[in-house]
Amino acid sequence: MYWEKHIETLDEKTLKETQLKMINETLGKAGEAPFYRNTPIKQIKTLKEFNEVPFTKKQDLRDHFPYGFLRKDLAEAVRLHSSSGTTGNPTVVFHTKADIKNWTNQVTRCMYMIGVRRQDVFQNTMGYGLFTGGLGLHYGAEELGALTIPIGPGNSRRQIWFMRTFGTTVVHILPSYALRLYSLFAEMHLDPKKDTKLKIFIIGSEPHSEKLRRQIEGLFGVKAYNSYGLSEMCGPGVGFECPCQDGIHLWEDYYYVEVINPKTEEPLPPGEEGELVLTTLQKEAMPLLRYRTGDLTRIIPGRCRCGRIHKRIERIKGRADDMLIINGVNLFPIQIEETIMKIPGVGNNYLIEVKTENFMDKLYVKVEVDNKIFEGTLSGLTHLQNKITGELKTEITVTPVVQLAEPGSLPVWEGKAKRVRDLRKN
Amino acid sequence: MTYHLSIFMENRPGKLEKITKILSDNNINIRAISLASAGEFGVAKLLVNKGDQAFLALKNQNITVSKRKILVILIPDAPGAMYDLLVVLSEKDINLEDCYGFVVESKKQAALVIEAEKYPQAESALREKGYNLLSDQELSNI
Repeated sequence: MYWEKHIETLDEKTLKETQLKMINETLGKAGEAPFYRNTPIKQIKTLKEFNEVPFTKKQDLRDHFPYGFLRKDLAEAVRLHSSSGTTGNPTVVFHTKADIKNWTNQVTRCMYMIGVRRQDVFQNTMGYGLFTGGLGLHYGAEELGALTIPIGPGNSRRQIWFMRTFGTTVVHILPSYALRLYSLFAEMHLDPKKDTKLKIFIIGSEPHSEKLRRQIEGLFGVKAYNSYGLSEMCGPGVGFECPCQDGIHLWEDYYYVEVINPKTEEPLPPGEEGELVLTTLQKEAMPLLRYRTGDLTRIIPGRCRCGRIHKRIERIKGRADDMLIINGVNLFPIQIEETIMKIPGVGNNYLIEVKTENFMDKLYVKVEVDNKIFEGTLSGLTHLQNKITGELKTEITVTPVVQLAEPGSLPVWEGKAKRVRDLRKN
Repeated sequence: MTYHLSIFMENRPGKLEKITKILSDNNINIRAISLASAGEFGVAKLLVNKGDQAFLALKNQNITVSKRKILVILIPDAPGAMYDLLVVLSEKDINLEDCYGFVVESKKQAALVIEAEKYPQAESALREKGYNLLSDQELSNI
């Protein structure tokens, strides 16, 4: 049941010693990157001293775009992943060959832990490309020896056809999409419990409740495991639930895990809720020190029944910043604001609404039209509407529903919070 | 210039009511109206007796309104009258961007309002055939 038993079930003392050694190696490596070069980074003698190292924020990655965190020569890098858009600089992450190998190993460890074996057929419905969800799991599954179907997202009929034709047993899927897919099974008078060989779902990329997980398990007759990751570390594989389904294990040989109070930045003891902070311990191309993930969670005190020593966090509760996750795609309201404000014909106010429709997230962008340049035709308005939709799709990769509103009909600018309404259930 | 008012509106209850309230408060008479919708929103075209005054009143209330040039043509209120007029325009390959009409005097006279893509040509083609194009003044006196 363990992929790397000696690492997964290490004793506490050895883990701490190993981490101290790895942190010091990472501090040394990080010092070679332009961003950290000017920060006085001393080697530490105890893990407690690590609290003095400054935090790294998402904004730092943006401000030092594109190579500020790259410590290796670009020739050493073999892969680049990026967040959506070009507004305010996307978050770009580089990997060396060793980084890809390490990432693959983390994913393989996760998948083996939940029972995936070489006999399995793995259908990966996550997006491939710059988004890390697809490629991340893909490499791990192949390393494990499972037959991997890189089908990607969408086209539900085809998904079901592949599942039934090739006897898919393991699926990597957005929790919201799992429900949508089930509705098509029902429409086709198929019962996934009888008409497929599905047994394991890997669900992630968007926050979801325990209730939703149990619902998915019941509908499909599978075990569903919560996957955690972020592209700044690598992507999926950073943490995963074990068969106990009681918290997400974070791999402490790859990451140093802290939870802090997002306001005071003070580290919090296990059990208290705050912002997850991660430090890469083996990253070559782009080591990150005390990176503020923006994800709100808490460390679950005590050891897991599975025997693994690696810390567990609770499922992600939400965000410390205003990042939105729309069907697994991460985006910031500022990307929407900057994109629409550049378009002639757009007035002063806008409103972002996220709703649940047909089990999936739907993004609505309401935009006031500009009084002054209205020339009085319906075609001019639909042209404006299409232009806004197109420009937003290019920037955030999500296709929004753009609604034109009369001037003065939307709430007036009083800070970001009022411009985003998250009306999703779950 | 003869014109009507073109107004951007969300397609929701109360929106048209708000416009008519402003016109009512300013003692403006609506001669004719047409609505075109693109689902969530649409455009209302209003022909009124006091265009300038209506335009300012709406602007003052932050309504998205613009003036659109039109031709208002008097035709008999009788079968075939609109057909006869459209033949004149289509023979000159003139496209209509918007069109609606109203009765001026039952069974005697009607008016057709058009937005055309080629105004000078449309105007001269109609005058050549003896059509009566209403001026702003004539329009408000109807």
